[in-house]
Amino acid sequence: MNSLLKNGYNLIIPGRGKNAETLEQRIYKLLKWFGISDYSNRLKIIEADYSKPLLGLSPALFKVTCSLTDSVIHCASDTCFSESKRDKVLQFNVDQLSGILELASAAQVKSFSYISTAYAAGLNGQICKEQLSSAKEFVNAYEESKALAEKVITDHCKRYSIPLTIIRPTIVYGDSFTGRTLRFNAFYYPIRSLLNIRDIYLNDIRNHGAQKSAKQGIYLDKDGYLFLPLHFFLPKKGSINLIPVNYFVEVTQKIFERPGNGGIFHVCNGNPPNLDQLSDYIKDFLKIKGIEIIYGEPLNTGLLNPVEELFERFIEPYRPYLSDDRIFDKTNTDFIAGEIQAPEMSYQIFSRCMNYGIDVNWGDNIFKYGN
Amino acid sequence: MSESLKIARSCRHYAMCKIDFLGSGVCTSGLDKHYVSFYPQGRMILYEGLAENKIPVTEKSIEIAASCNLCGKCDFQCYFITELRPTKVMKSLKEFISLHLQSGSEVVHSKEDPILNEIRSIVGEEWASNDASILYSYSHDLSPISSPKMPDYVVLPNSREEISELVKLFNRHNIRYTVRGNGSNLLGFAINNGVILDLNRMKTIEFDEKRWFVKTGPGVTAFELQKEAQKRGFRINAGEPAAMICSNIMGSGVMSSFSTTYGINADNYVDAEFVSDDGSIFNINDIDSPNLYAYKNLNHSKSPGICTSANIRLHPVTKDESGILIPFSSLEKAVNFVSDCSLRHIGIAISILGTEYISNFLAPTKKSAEEIKMIFKEKLKIPFLVHLIGDSYALTAIKHMGVTFIDQKLLTALYLGSPSLNSASWLNLVSELSEDEPYAYLRLKHIAELVETALEPSPELLATTVDPDLRPFYEKLYSRAEMTDMVWLTEFRILSTRIGRRKGFLPILIYLPVDYALIKEITDQYISIAKELQIEHEFGFITPIDHGKRCIYEFDYFFDHTDLSEIERIRTAAAKANHLIDEYSVKNGTVRGHPYVLYQGFSRKENLLYS
Repeated sequence: MNSLLKNGYNLIIPGRGKNAETLEQRIYKLLKWFGISDYSNRLKIIEADYSKPLLGLSPALFKVTCSLTDSVIHCASDTCFSESKRDKVLQFNVDQLSGILELASAAQVKSFSYISTAYAAGLNGQICKEQLSSAKEFVNAYEESKALAEKVITDHCKRYSIPLTIIRPTIVYGDSFTGRTLRFNAFYYPIRSLLNIRDIYLNDIRNHGAQKSAKQGIYLDKDGYLFLPLHFFLPKKGSINLIPVNYFVEVTQKIFERPGNGGIFHVCNGNPPNLDQLSDYIKDFLKIKGIEIIYGEPLNTGLLNPVEELFERFIEPYRPYLSDDRIFDKTNTDFIAGEIQAPEMSYQIFSRCMNYGIDVNWGDNIFKYGN
Repeated sequence: MSESLKIARSCRHYAMCKIDFLGSGVCTSGLDKHYVSFYPQGRMILYEGLAENKIPVTEKSIEIAASCNLCGKCDFQCYFITELRPTKVMKSLKEFISLHLQSGSEVVHSKEDPILNEIRSIVGEEWASNDASILYSYSHDLSPISSPKMPDYVVLPNSREEISELVKLFNRHNIRYTVRGNGSNLLGFAINNGVILDLNRMKTIEFDEKRWFVKTGPGVTAFELQKEAQKRGFRINAGEPAAMICSNIMGSGVMSSFSTTYGINADNYVDAEFVSDDGSIFNINDIDSPNLYAYKNLNHSKSPGICTSANIRLHPVTKDESGILIPFSSLEKAVNFVSDCSLRHIGIAISILGTEYISNFLAPTKKSAEEIKMIFKEKLKIPFLVHLIGDSYALTAIKHMGVTFIDQKLLTALYLGSPSLNSASWLNLVSELSEDEPYAYLRLKHIAELVETALEPSPELLATTVDPDLRPFYEKLYSRAEMTDMVWLTEFRILSTRIGRRKGFLPILIYLPVDYALIKEITDQYISIAKELQIEHEFGFITPIDHGKRCIYEFDYFFDHTDLSEIERIRTAAAKANHLIDEYSVKNGTVRGHPYVLYQGFSRKENLLYS
């Protein structure tokens, strides 16, 4: 949104309020965070309900909206991984496409862009091509819903001859230059978890006699590092495909503006880091030792120590992405934006992003102080 | 307004200062003299009356003020429940009297009264009074639906024979009389003109273990009886701790979380003895006695007489009982769960509690209660908890039902670590962990250990939230295991009156099927009434009874009893709520309003619920 406005586009944003905030309030908060002030004549905000026909708009408003729309970029998504929420995820990501597709065809848009995920490729061999997925197996309901959504949108756009662009990013983290981001899940989650676990035991050691820590073999060593015995199990060696949000935005903007129409584009890291590398960063950043990655079958959960048990619980939904051996073909993306590549995940970038998270208390203070 | 007067006016009349619920002792003069006036509650009321010129200084005012030795026990007790510090009022009372006497102002003496003399000839010189300072302590309670009434006499009999003689005397002189237990009903039942018969002196307790009952005098409180029962390895089904058992049965029937298994009303006693309104004595089980087992719905009954003893049922206790709290994201889920448990006879005591109850139970102060309420609701996303006491087999069954729960170890950690909860940054992660599976963190085998490490719970930590001079007492208090033990706390209910800590409360109680749709329908209307009249309100509790066929449901309205406009509004709200319940009672046939249980508390539950 920030990039499009800065590049002179007029935007219509149909969406909904959340947690007692109207959509307008949510958008203004975001724009303030982006440091955009002069937008009022180029931004139209419409309270819409994607679960209803015509996006819940009156026929008159729907008609007006269609008349003002040249292109559609659909990026709303339920990103829940839980199997227990499967129905909800499918409903939001697939069933509720009908409204926006209805608008696209009624408006006879010049293009439809869909922000999907590289993981819509599913589990279907190591090489993931920039084409619709034929996978029958997925890691979770979210991946499956995105693959289904791509098919639904593709069918619709084909029927109405609308050029379709599908953008498939991998795991997006903060800005590699500033560390700024609005969300602190996925990549951030394991580090947040470890940081909280670390602080719990540091507090015990520094302020409460360290008895509970000692019982679990946790102590501060002479270098000031916290020894935290944590065996972390991964099924196999692999990588975690991370891209900074600034890279994602830059590449996506280029794809939107290219000559020619349609296509599927993987926006991903050609040289993703592996967990051993990230683990070293984590140890240095958090000043902890004792984390050991073990490749193979995990221990019976009954044999895990309290720290391991808690950490396992925290990262369970993300485990498949931490040792991923899928390779995302990015031929199409390189053709358009080959000169732009995702930066290597250095310790500087890592620590910059984590420090930002700490500064804004992982999102709690993100809007309070205009960070 | 002086601080002392503010405190005095804030007295909740819960009578908790009359029972030794903290093991810190009870006001010595109260135990000696028995009149409410000689307890801290009575002195607070007296001070209010004197300071506001509602009553003159009398002989008894001087005696009452002098009888306080400023030991401070009342501060421990009252602060625990309400955060009030009565000792300040006791000091102010003494100063008031002292200044009054120094100034040579009048001290009113009781009038010569032949009726009083007759009464005294039955009960003894010191056990009947018409002194205004005594009478005033019995003239009002917090009830917004009753008005203060100054009695003419307060009389403290010590036996059923004395009561019988008194009743005959009152009849001869056409004097109205009202029986008073501890006056903690908060609905004005013990307020009246005429004579107030205070049964405090009648504290007999006689166990008949072979026949599984304990014969209880009308002056015995739930706390006292439960304590004696516990010493012998039993449990009784008891109401509020300061409520006198016999009055409790008469006024509202005994009910508690244990009613899930032990029942209500007639389920709780084997026999009871009465002095009827002609002075004759009868037992409920006598063939020719009035049929107190009957129940007439929508009927405000007349009192059948004065209950002078009740044979309360004893229940066995197993050594493997423990309490758990099961979180639910909605009332509907909680209702369905308790219905299932009670149908399957899982659990001895079950209640659904809202965050208002839970936060007040856990928090030593109002401020910390607000913090805990926010944490439960917004960070942990727990708006409702099912509180369940069960033996080890019951808890195994609960585990098999697939729900997660807070066990005793974890609760103790949360309880004693609660001051650290508000600043616990890891709570955000915990709630995110639960996005995929509600309360997933409770499945962690080591969750209690982790919480202990994170919160560093201790009596010392909990004590940091209270007034500094009380901290040593709280440290000692909370080093006692029972103070965080769910079974003990459910048996003795010392925390339940905290629900009125912030403001006075009016409970709206009904019996109805364990049917979420009906519960929701009625609740929505309670809320609508409260919003219309701008009254604070909260879900109270639901306890299933009779194998899940019915439940007791309490919804609470809150009011500032010192604010006349709030009193007016709550009166209107109470009337509307009662009218609503009556309508449901008639059209639906399965709803029973609790106000009609007055004087019918000895009835059979089947008659109350199903006739």
